[in-house]
Amino acid sequence: MVNTSQENYLEYRGRFKGLMGWLTSTDHKRIGLMYMYAIMFFFIIAALLGLLMRIEKIAPGQTIMDAQTYNGVFTIHGIIMIFIIVIPGLAAVFGNFFLPIMIGAKDVAFPKLNLLSWYIYIAGAIMGILSQFIGGGAPDTGWTFYVPYSAESGTNVMFALLAAFVLGFSSILTGLNFIVTIHRLRAPGMTWFKMPLFPWSLYATAWIQVLATPIIGITLLMVIAERTLNIGFFDPALGGDPLLFQHLFWIYSHPAVYVMILPAMGVVTEIFPTFSQKPVFGYGAIAISSLAIALVGYFVWGHHMFTTGISYWSRWFFSFLTFIVAVPSAIKVFNWISTMYGGSIDLKPPLLYAISFIFLFMIGGFTGLTLGALATNVQTHDTTFVVAHFHYIIFGGMGFAFFAGIHYWFPKIYGRMYSNRLAYIAWGILFVGFNLLYFPLFVIGIQGMPRRYFDYLPQFQTGHVISSIGAFILVAGLVVMFYNLIYYRRKGEIASANPWKGVTLEWQIPSPPPLENFEEIPVIKDKPYTFDNKEEKASTGN
Amino acid sequence: MNTSTAHTDHYDPESSKIGMWLFLFTEMFLFGGLFLVYAVFRNKYSADFHHGAHELNAFIGTFNTVVLLISSMTVAMSITAIQKKNRKLAVNMIIITIVLALVFMLNKYFEWSYKFEYKLYPGSPVMMNLPQGEILFYGLYFMMTGLHALHVLIGIVLLVVNIFKIRSGKVHHERFSLLENSGLYWHLVDLIWIFLFPLLYLVT
Amino acid sequence: MFNGASNLAEGVDKTFVFIFIIAFIFIIGLTVFMIYTLVKYSRKKNQKAKQFRGSVKLEILWTVIPLVLVILMFYYGWVGFAPMRQVPDDAMRITAIGRMWEWEFDYGDGKLSSELVLPVNKPVRLDLVSEDVNHSLFIPAFRVKEDVVPGYDNYLWFTPYYIGDYEILCTEYCGLLHSSMVSKTKVVEEDKFEEWLANLEARGDIPDPPGLVLLKETGCLACHSDDGSRLVGPSFKGIYGMERIVVSDGEERTITIDDDYLRSSIIEPDRDLVKGYNKGLMQSYRKELNDDEIDQIIEYLSTFTPEGN
Ligand code: HEA
Ligand code: HEA
Ligand code: HEC
Ligand code: CUA
Ligand SMILES: [Cu+2]
Repeated sequence: MVNTSQENYLEYRGRFKGLMGWLTSTDHKRIGLMYMYAIMFFFIIAALLGLLMRIEKIAPGQTIMDAQTYNGVFTIHGIIMIFIIVIPGLAAVFGNFFLPIMIGAKDVAFPKLNLLSWYIYIAGAIMGILSQFIGGGAPDTGWTFYVPYSAESGTNVMFALLAAFVLGFSSILTGLNFIVTIHRLRAPGMTWFKMPLFPWSLYATAWIQVLATPIIGITLLMVIAERTLNIGFFDPALGGDPLLFQHLFWIYSHPAVYVMILPAMGVVTEIFPTFSQKPVFGYGAIAISSLAIALVGYFVWGHHMFTTGISYWSRWFFSFLTFIVAVPSAIKVFNWISTMYGGSIDLKPPLLYAISFIFLFMIGGFTGLTLGALATNVQTHDTTFVVAHFHYIIFGGMGFAFFAGIHYWFPKIYGRMYSNRLAYIAWGILFVGFNLLYFPLFVIGIQGMPRRYFDYLPQFQTGHVISSIGAFILVAGLVVMFYNLIYYRRKGEIASANPWKGVTLEWQIPSPPPLENFEEIPVIKDKPYTFDNKEEKASTGN
Repeated sequence: MNTSTAHTDHYDPESSKIGMWLFLFTEMFLFGGLFLVYAVFRNKYSADFHHGAHELNAFIGTFNTVVLLISSMTVAMSITAIQKKNRKLAVNMIIITIVLALVFMLNKYFEWSYKFEYKLYPGSPVMMNLPQGEILFYGLYFMMTGLHALHVLIGIVLLVVNIFKIRSGKVHHERFSLLENSGLYWHLVDLIWIFLFPLLYLVT
Repeated sequence: MFNGASNLAEGVDKTFVFIFIIAFIFIIGLTVFMIYTLVKYSRKKNQKAKQFRGSVKLEILWTVIPLVLVILMFYYGWVGFAPMRQVPDDAMRITAIGRMWEWEFDYGDGKLSSELVLPVNKPVRLDLVSEDVNHSLFIPAFRVKEDVVPGYDNYLWFTPYYIGDYEILCTEYCGLLHSSMVSKTKVVEEDKFEEWLANLEARGDIPDPPGLVLLKETGCLACHSDDGSRLVGPSFKGIYGMERIVVSDGEERTITIDDDYLRSSIIEPDRDLVKGYNKGLMQSYRKELNDDEIDQIIEYLSTFTPEGN
C-alpha cells in the first residue's frame, strides 16, 4: 500500500508558498498542525502565568504582584487553559491530523469549514488575550464567570465573555465536522465496530461539543446582556437568580471536562496495543464506556454546586450520578492495563507517558470521588483540593496524554525521530516536578486553604513552598521536552513509515503522509488491532 | 485519479444535510437555554408574566406568524422548483420569501419602536420601576425576539447568496445543497418563532 | 482519630478515610501490577505477544466491583452529610452577613459583632445573608461550608465541642480582597459567652450616622480607611477640602475636594482618577446608590475635614 508517488503534505506547494500555503490550506493535516502550534503558543503564555502565581504564593502577603493582578492572572490562566487549550486541545490537533487517516479517508467531510473553524478559534483566542489590555483592566472573575460579581466587576469582562463565546462556536463546528466525517467517510468495510478507538472517542466528544456548547453560548450572551443592557436575569435586585447562572454554566462545563478527557483516553488507547504488540483488551467495553461517559456526564453538573444551598434531594441525586459516571472510567483503566498483560512490551517514551497518564489520572479520579461525596465535598469545595484534583486530571491526564500522543505520532507527522534519551530525561523531571507541584495542594486543601486566594494564613506556607519548588522543576522538564521535539523535528534521523509496528491505518502510509493520505482508499477486512492473525486464530479458535 | 493537486472539493449532499441538521440542533439548544430561563421565571412570577403577555400586541404577533409560515412554504417551493430545473421560478420564490422576511422585520421594528416610545427598553428607568417579574418578562422578550430577528437577518443574507448562485449557475438541479440547507435554516427560523409566539404573546 | 472540633466532623472524616483507603489500595495495587507487567513481559524477555482480545467475565467483574465500591462511597458521603441539614430545634440562631470583604454576625437586638463568639457544646444555626455578591462561609475545623448567595436563604449549623479560636474563611470568589475576608470563631464557656453578649454594645441604640451606615453596607470601607492608612483606594481621613492631583483624560490637574468631586468620584470613579491609582479598581455605584443615599454619604464625608476627626 505504501506509495511514494505523491509529495508529502509538508513539502506540497499549492497556489501559495510558505506561510500563506499553510494559512490557506484546507488539508486536515496542516490544519491539525496549525492548531498545535497555536495551542503550544498559548500554553506557554498560560503556563508562565501559572508559574507567576506560584511565585506569588511562595510566601504569605504580597510578594511579586498585588491582589488585583493576582485575580486577573488566575482568571486568564484558567480561561486560556480551559477554553483555548484543553477544550479544543487533543481533538483539534490529533483529531484533525489522524481521524481521517485512521478511518481511511482523504480528508474530513467539510475541509473548508475546518479551516474556518481554525480562524474562528484564532479570533476567539486573540480576543481572550486582548481582554487583558483594553478597557477597564484584566478581567478578574475566575474562568467560571459567576454572577453577580461578573456582572458588576469594573474590569473588561465583556471581552473575555465574547472570546469564550467565539471559541465555543469554533468548537461546535469542529464537532459537527467530525460527526459527519465519521458517519460518511469511513473506508469500505470499516463497520462501526471495526473503527479504531481514537475515532470512537472523538465521536463521543463531538456529540458533547455539539449538544452542550450552545448552552454556554446563550448563557454567556445573557451575562453580556446583563452587563450592557441591565436585563437582570441573574441579578437578585431585579428579581433575577444568581444560581440559575451556575446551573446553566455547569450544564455545559461539566460535560466539557469530558470533552477534554475523552480524546486523551482515545490517544492512550492507541498506544497500549502498539507497544505491547497485542490487540486492545475489551474493545467493545472501551468504545461503549466512551459513550456512557458522554451520556451520563450530562446529568451530574450539580456536583459543582453542592454548597450553594440547592435542595437536599438534588444534592443526593447529583452525588449519586457523579459516582455512577466514575465506573466507565474505571472500566477503561482496567482494560488498558490488561492490554499490556501478556504482551511484548517495549517501554518507549510514548508508552512511558501513557503509563504515567494512568497513574496521574487515577489520583485525579479518586480525588474527584472525594469531591463527589457529599460529606467530603463540604470540606474540600473551593479549596486547593479542587485545584489539585483538576490539575492532576487535566494536566496529568490530558496533558500527559498529549505528550504521549506527540511522542507516538511525531515520526509520522514529521518523518523524523526525536532523541529517546532526552525524552526519558524530560519525562523524569516532569514527573517529579508535577507531583511536587500539585500533591501538597491536596494536603493544604483538606486543612482548609481556599482557592483563588492571593494571600494565605501562615500555617499553609510549607505546602505552598513545596508546590512552588515543584513548579520550577516542572518547567525545567517542559523545556527539555520542547527542546527535544522542536530541535529534532528538522534534525532527527529519518523515520520509517512504521517505526513502532503499529497496525492502524496511519502506519500503513509513508511518513510524513502524502497530500491525499491514500493513493487508493483501503478496504478493511480484519478486526481492528489485528497484529497476528494466525496466532490469534490458533489461540482463540475462531 | 488526481494526484498532487489540491484536495478536490468532493460533493456529498448527504453529508451537507447531516451537517446542517446538526447545526440546527445547536441552534435549538441555543434558544433552548432561553426557554429554560423562561420556564424558571414564569414559574416564579406567573402573575407578572401574565400581565406582560397581555401588554404585547397579539395581533402583530399573529400576523407575523402567518407571514413566516407562508415564507416557509415559498422557500420549500423554490427548492422543488430548482429540482425541476425551473430556475426562474426558484429565484422568484426566493425573492418572495425575502420580501416576506422583510415584512416580518418591519413589523418587528414597529413593535419595538412602539415600546421604545414609552421608554420601555432594557435598562430604562421605566423598565427598572416595573415589578420584578415584568422586568424579567420584558428582558426575555427583547432578548428572545432580538436573537430571533438576528437569525432572520442571517437567513435573508443566505437567501440573497442563493439568488446569485442560482443566477451564476453554481446552484442547479443536480447540486442544490446550498439552497436546500438555506431552506432548512429558514424553517428553523420559522419553527423557533412558532415557539416564541405562544410563549410571549399568548400563554397567559 | 475522629475527635473533630464539631459534631459534624466525624461523619466527614470517616468518609475521607474510607475513600482514601480504597483509593490507596487501587492506586498502589494497579501501579504495582503495571510495573510487574512491564518487567515480566518486557520485549527483551518476551518476543512474542499473546493475542487475546478480552474476557466478558473480567469485564463484568470490573464493572460490578467498582460499582459496589462507589455506591458505598456515596453512602458514606450521604450519611456524613445528612445531619448537616437537620438543625435541632433548640439551636441558637445568629445571622451571618457577608459583604465585600468582611463578615458580620448579628445576635439580634441590634447586637452586631465582627467575630463569631459561641458557647461551647451548644448547637448554633447561622442564617447566611449576602449584601452584594456570592460568598461562602467556611470554618475548616468544624467541617462546615455553605455559600452565601444574594437573594437566597441558606443556612448551616453545628455544635462546637472544644474551647478555642477557629478560622472563618470566605471560599467563594468575591472580588479583590476575597482572601482577606477572614474572621474568627471564639468558642468559650457558656457563662463567659453570656457575659460577652451582655456587654456587646447594641449598635441599634446609638445609630450610626446614615452616611456611615451606607459606607459600611455598600462595602466602601473595604477599600477606603478612615484612619489614613492606604488600602485599595485613598483614605477618607481629612479628605474634605483637601487638594488632590487627579488625572482626567490623561491630563493631570489639581482640584480641591468638594461635594461635586465626591459625587463624581462615586458615580464615575474613572473620570478623575486620583494620581497613583489605577483605572477600573473602583466601580461606579450609580446602580447601587440612589441620589439621596449619595447625598447622605457626601454629608457624612464632609465631616472629614483636614482639621477635624
Ligand atoms: C478533564 C477534566 C476532568 C475530569 C475527567 C474530571 C473527572 C471527575 N471529576 Fe472533576 N473537575 C474538573 C475537571 C475534571 N474532572 C475541573 C476543571 C473542576 C473544577 C472546576 C472549577 O470549579 O473551576 C472539577 C471539579 C470537580 C468537582 C467539584 C468540586 C467542587 O468545586 O466542589 C467534583 C465533585 O464531584 C468533581 C468530580 C469528578 C469525578 C467524580 C470525576 C470522575 O469522572 C473521575 C473518574 C476516574 C476514576 C474513578 C479513576 C480511575 C479509575 C480507577 C483507578 C479504577 C478503580 C475505581 C473505583 C474503584 C471507583 N470534579
Ligand atoms: C490545561 C489546564 C491547566 C494547566 C496545564 C495548568 C498548569 C499550571 N497551573 Fe493552573 N489552573 C487551571 C488550568 C491549568 N493549569 C484552571 C482551569 C485553573 C482555575 C482558574 C480559576 O480559578 O478560575 C487553574 C488555577 C491554578 C492555580 C490556582 C489559583 C488559585 O486558586 O489561587 C494555580 C496556583 O498555583 C495554578 C498553577 C499552575 C501551574 C504552576 C501550572 C504549571 O503546570 C505550568 C508549568 C509550565 C510552564 C511554566 C511552561 C513552561 C514552558 C516553557 C517555558 C517552554 C519553553 C518554551 C520552548 C522551549 C518553546 N493554576
Ligand atoms: C474596589 C475598591 C473600592 C471600593 C469598594 C470603593 N472605592 Fe472609592 N476608590 C477606589 C480607588 C482605587 C480610588 C482611587 C482611584 C479613583 O479615583 O478612581 C477611589 C477613589 C474614591 C474617591 C476619591 C477619593 C479621593 O481621595 O480623591 C471617593 C470619594 C470614593 N472613592 C468614594 C467611594 C465610596 C463612597 C464608595 C462606596 C460606595 C467607594 N469609594 C468604594 C477604590 C474603591
Ligand atoms: Cu467573600 Cu470571597
Ligand atoms: Cu464536574
